[in-house]
Amino acid sequence: MTSLSWKVGAAVAFAVGATDVVLSAYQGVTLSDLVVGTAVNAVTISAGLVVWASRPASRMGVLITVWGICGFLADTVGLLPDSRLGATVGLPLVLLPSAVYAHMVLAYPTGRLVDRVDRAAVGVIYAAALLWSLPLLVGSNPSGCTDCVPGVPSLLFIGQIGPLRTIGQGFSALFIMLGAAFVCLVVRRIRRASPGVRRTLWPLALAAVFGGAQFIARSAANLFGFASWQETLLWLDRASGVAVPIALAIGVLTTRRARGPVGNLVVELGNVEPGGVRDALARTLGDPTLELALWLPDRGTWVDERGREIAVTETPTRAVTLIGHELAAIVHDPDLADQQALLEAAGSAARLALENERLHAELRAQLDELRASRARIVRAGDDERRRLERDLHDGAQQRLLGVGLALQLVRARVPDGEAAELVAEAEQELREALRELRDLARGIHPAVLVDQGLGSAIKTLAKRSPIPVGVSADGERLPSHVETAAYFVVAEALANIAHHADAGHVDITVRRENGSAIVEIRDDGRGGADATGSGLQGLADRVRSLDGRFSVHSPPGSGTCVTAEIPCG
Amino acid sequence: MQERVLIVDDHPTFRRFARRLLQDEGFVVVGEADDGASALDAVRELLPEVVLLDVMLPDVSGLDLAERLAGMAGAPAVVLTSSRGASDYGTALTHSSARAFIAKGDLTGAALRAAVTLQ
Repeated sequence: MTSLSWKVGAAVAFAVGATDVVLSAYQGVTLSDLVVGTAVNAVTISAGLVVWASRPASRMGVLITVWGICGFLADTVGLLPDSRLGATVGLPLVLLPSAVYAHMVLAYPTGRLVDRVDRAAVGVIYAAALLWSLPLLVGSNPSGCTDCVPGVPSLLFIGQIGPLRTIGQGFSALFIMLGAAFVCLVVRRIRRASPGVRRTLWPLALAAVFGGAQFIARSAANLFGFASWQETLLWLDRASGVAVPIALAIGVLTTRRARGPVGNLVVELGNVEPGGVRDALARTLGDPTLELALWLPDRGTWVDERGREIAVTETPTRAVTLIGHELAAIVHDPDLADQQALLEAAGSAARLALENERLHAELRAQLDELRASRARIVRAGDDERRRLERDLHDGAQQRLLGVGLALQLVRARVPDGEAAELVAEAEQELREALRELRDLARGIHPAVLVDQGLGSAIKTLAKRSPIPVGVSADGERLPSHVETAAYFVVAEALANIAHHADAGHVDITVRRENGSAIVEIRDDGRGGADATGSGLQGLADRVRSLDGRFSVHSPPGSGTCVTAEIPCG
Repeated sequence: MQERVLIVDDHPTFRRFARRLLQDEGFVVVGEADDGASALDAVRELLPEVVLLDVMLPDVSGLDLAERLAGMAGAPAVVLTSSRGASDYGTALTHSSARAFIAKGDLTGAALRAAVTLQ
């Protein structure tokens, strides 16, 4: 705030006061009216200039100044000697301060009307405030009307207008509705505001509801002709005018007091867990919708505290405040932008915690990527196995089968003897080769798993097992990567049991629980299995690559239980 | 007795050798089809008594086709075959209305005749 703007403010206040004093002396206005009217206008204009100079980014200063000037003009024109020019210029100005007032209240604290409904309402209020005087300026009531408002001697006067009184009543009714709409919008504003903004908004909102109510009362008095109310209503009008600067002052003081929580923030950040800085900032700034974005310079992207990539853009309903040099950004309620000092204080207090938060987020992002790429590699491997099995089946296996049939034809055509024996030997070799090829294909990727699902595939494994196996599995199909992983867990576990466990019986259960497939292989063998052996370790890796869990419980002498839990999502 | 056989398989090598093998062993091979749709047409047209049907066809599963054939008037005896073994199909084969399953590696005229006469 420069000393110049203070001086300009004081000079304007003096000029406003002096003008009104001179004019009121000329018109013989009472002292009390003069003091109250002049004080309100002078204080308002000065306050507007002070706010304008101290917060040039906010349009509130402009609006308060314009409001004061309109009030001054409306009052001053009323003090001018009766003239057609004075009436023509002055009458349209009478309600303009009320319109600017509504604009200012709805645009508080940024000075900008963000909401579309607010913008439309303010537009209608301005139009009504300017247009209501037009019929009074161009015409007068019929001369026979005794209780009508007399015509105004204006430069635009045309003649008598019959329905002038009805038009005036129509405007009064419209003003009642606009006043009610204004009060509703103020209440809506308070209800929708975040707690931090509500703290600074409520004093002005109270003053505005009071102002709106007295405006409705004044319009009602005009509509229903309660002349005796006029004096009281005039004083209420003055009071509502004074209430606004008081409310603004309370708002500013409340904002100052709100800086107290920054101290609490510093204490809170000392104990904050990774990922908790956002919540601490949201509490301090009173904005539960607050989002925290952390800048990862190596990637050139914004991420949230969990390392997920997010977009940071300013919109009419979301404002962005940057913290530090390429460190973080807070995306928040735009009304908080008016509390720049508080935002900056909170941002500075949180800087060290945000550095940590960023490291944590970067680690999370890298872990997520690693996990995703590991899962992709395993799935790609499974796809490759499936393709290989299919190629073996359609290619080499079919050709060898053809050779087998051809050898049968040859055998039928050669007489018994050495040649026939050789053919029979070749057939036997071929049968062995085909069996080995089939086993190989089955080991690469079993066809029954693709065709009929995990339950059938496990039952097929159970049939081939040298140890009796009980299977409990329903026929529900699972995602193919889950079925493949679960199948290989069972196949490897059964192979281990056959080789090492010395078991008499195996039980396999497959069930679905909380969105995961749970596979359990339990034997009654000697236990003491080595979970770090390459076979079990490979299974554990495969299951964990799908974000699953793998465990081996194998106390010596009490059998072994292998459990895999694989998410199906 | 000379059974009239239709061979349904998408591998031409197999069809060629199977036709000669079965003919050698006294079957009359009335036709061949390389997918499910043409197999249905051939059955309606040629009225075979036996259909040697591959489990994996390009357009339809041999197991499904076997069900459709079983529902036809004068249904032929269906014998499923595959380059894979019976255990590769889990319980699906036991639930099938096909007369029998013969792995391609074990296919002979005698095996087919035994399967057809099996009741």
